[in-house]
Amino acid sequence: MLQLTDIEKVYQTKTIETVALNRVNLTINKGEFVSVMGPSGCGKSTLLSIMGLLDEPSGGILELDGRPVKSYSDKELAHLRNQKIGFVFQSYHLINDLSVLDNVELPLLYRAGVGGKERRQRAHAALDKVGLSARTTHFPSQLSGGQRQRVAIARALAGRPEIILADEPTGNLDSVMGEEIMDLLLGLHRHDGTTIVMVTHDEQQAQKTERLIRFFDGSQVA
Amino acid sequence: MLRHLFTLIWNRKRANFLLITEIFLAFVILFVVGSTLVYSQQNYRTPLGFDYEQVWQVDLDPGMQPRAQRAATQRQVIQRLKSLPGVRFVARSSSNTPFSGNSNRSDLRRTKESGGAYVNGNFYYVEDAMRDVLAPHLIEGRWFDKRDDASTRQPVIITQETREKLFPGESPLGKIIPNGDQEMQVVGVAGTYRASGDLSEPRAAAFLRVSPQDTSFEHLETLLVRVQPGAGAALEKRMTTEILAIGKGWSSNITPLAEQRAAQLKLIVTPLVALVVVCVFLIINVALGLFGVLWQTINQRRTEIGLRRALGASARAISAQIVGEILVVSTFGLALGLLVAAQFPLLGVLGVKTSVYLTAMLLATALIYTLTAVCALYPSWLAAGIHPAVALREE
Ligand SMILES: Nc1ncnc2c1ncn2[C@@H]1O[C@H](COP(=O)(O)OP(=O)(O)OP(=O)(O)O)[C@@H](O)[C@H]1O
Ligand SMILES: [Mg+2]
Repeated sequence: MLQLTDIEKVYQTKTIETVALNRVNLTINKGEFVSVMGPSGCGKSTLLSIMGLLDEPSGGILELDGRPVKSYSDKELAHLRNQKIGFVFQSYHLINDLSVLDNVELPLLYRAGVGGKERRQRAHAALDKVGLSARTTHFPSQLSGGQRQRVAIARALAGRPEIILADEPTGNLDSVMGEEIMDLLLGLHRHDGTTIVMVTHDEQQAQKTERLIRFFDGSQVA
Repeated sequence: MLRHLFTLIWNRKRANFLLITEIFLAFVILFVVGSTLVYSQQNYRTPLGFDYEQVWQVDLDPGMQPRAQRAATQRQVIQRLKSLPGVRFVARSSSNTPFSGNSNRSDLRRTKESGGAYVNGNFYYVEDAMRDVLAPHLIEGRWFDKRDDASTRQPVIITQETREKLFPGESPLGKIIPNGDQEMQVVGVAGTYRASGDLSEPRAAAFLRVSPQDTSFEHLETLLVRVQPGAGAALEKRMTTEILAIGKGWSSNITPLAEQRAAQLKLIVTPLVALVVVCVFLIINVALGLFGVLWQTINQRRTEIGLRRALGASARAISAQIVGEILVVSTFGLALGLLVAAQFPLLGVLGVKTSVYLTAMLLATALIYTLTAVCALYPSWLAAGIHPAVALREE
């Protein structure tokens, strides 16, 4: 489904050049549940944002469903991000001026042919899955860190994407809640065949996935 | 999407409050200025109702001449002027001549038996020859002539505005209009007559006949003279000397009505132009303010915009959102403004036609929407260029 060939990402600042990804070769198959581990700063988030079509690699080829991503226009990329990919950001990125429900509806807003009623229903269903149905009218500032993280997860679920890219989705949750989210992801993977790539620092969680990729200093080590 | 924008603006009402207030105030000012301009323009486009080209106004000053002799001298002056080559018609008139700014207002009313309806109007005292001098437009009945010499009542010609007020749905010809302890009888109806000038509103008026036997001078010191096309300074000079020759100690002042009109227009249009200039500066100010606020908003909202891009908004959707948001904010401001503006026609304080206000509302609304959309174009383009990965990392 996702094919990375010699992917490089170099961040250029005035003084130094940081190689965040160094010739990464990786294939994510359809329906796979992959976890990514590695020390802080090794390039996990960078990898995810490239796979999520948010960032362009400095070198190498990224293919989505067999077609090089470079060949897509901006509009097509937006469409793909909306239809295919659900992204859970490490720092949630909720819009503070929108209620929890409106935040979760957001990806559906950019999808043609989804009416207001259906948006609402799907958003409610997604919030239900992460155990936040009682908080729909709250605003992000009225939520705890863990609750915000769950809203961010619900938002990724609401679009029913083929691929979920989750950057430490349980990082701010207690072990019980983390366990529940993990079960949720496993369920999506098992029942809906959703392809999932998850960054985690939790060895136990990583063991539950089908494949574990380890990163060190921008390179895949296992 | 529109609902989403409304939700967003509503949730940010505190932040948008100043913007809404600014748009509200800008609208009210545009509305007031717009009403003034529309009102002026509508009046300007209404026909004056007479022909002022080649008509000269001759103001006579009898100086120290005894009162009793003045009318006779004036008659001589008129005879002489009439005989001059280049002069076509001469008529005595009350001083409320076209573009003079003078008025002579009084109530025109029906008799008590007919209901006593009344309207305030300008009274123009004119001679029979005025038909040929100013050529007022007659709609019904006839102009004054010799037949009126025998009349026991004061013959009067009312304008159509007077007829609408006093004689709706009936013919005014032959009807009586009381005038103090005397009676006037309508012999004709003239079209709109706007001697007050190009920007004046069509108002009720009446022509009252000055008979040739009338020897009063005091309120008929003014002559209106229709001259041949092409008559100029030479004729003017000749007229002045002739008047001096006849009336010892008399002096005169001759002004073409076209000049009088130009002078009057300048006087009225100058403040209007000043108003428009001030208004334009104000609008530029508002536009710069809007632009600045929008620009700053884009910078403050980079993460949000990056997020929207990440969730699948196209660059165009982002642009549309930024423009859409400001249009929604404008809508809030405009709604308030329209509420205020609607009071003018509803209360009818200034007695101006509703259509003037409606046109001004429409114009002001269109201008505000255009202005805000234009101000949002560049910021929206900036927003569309925000790169999701870059913006999301900045937080
Ligand atoms: N915009 C940037 N400019 C310069 N360097 C950057 C930029 N973004 C990331 N980097 C660098 O790239 C490297 C990889 O960053 P990345 O965020 O992918 O790490 P990570 O593995 O997700 O870390 P963590 O586990 O702490 O989230 C880091 O060394 C970081 O300093
Ligand atoms: Mg990271």
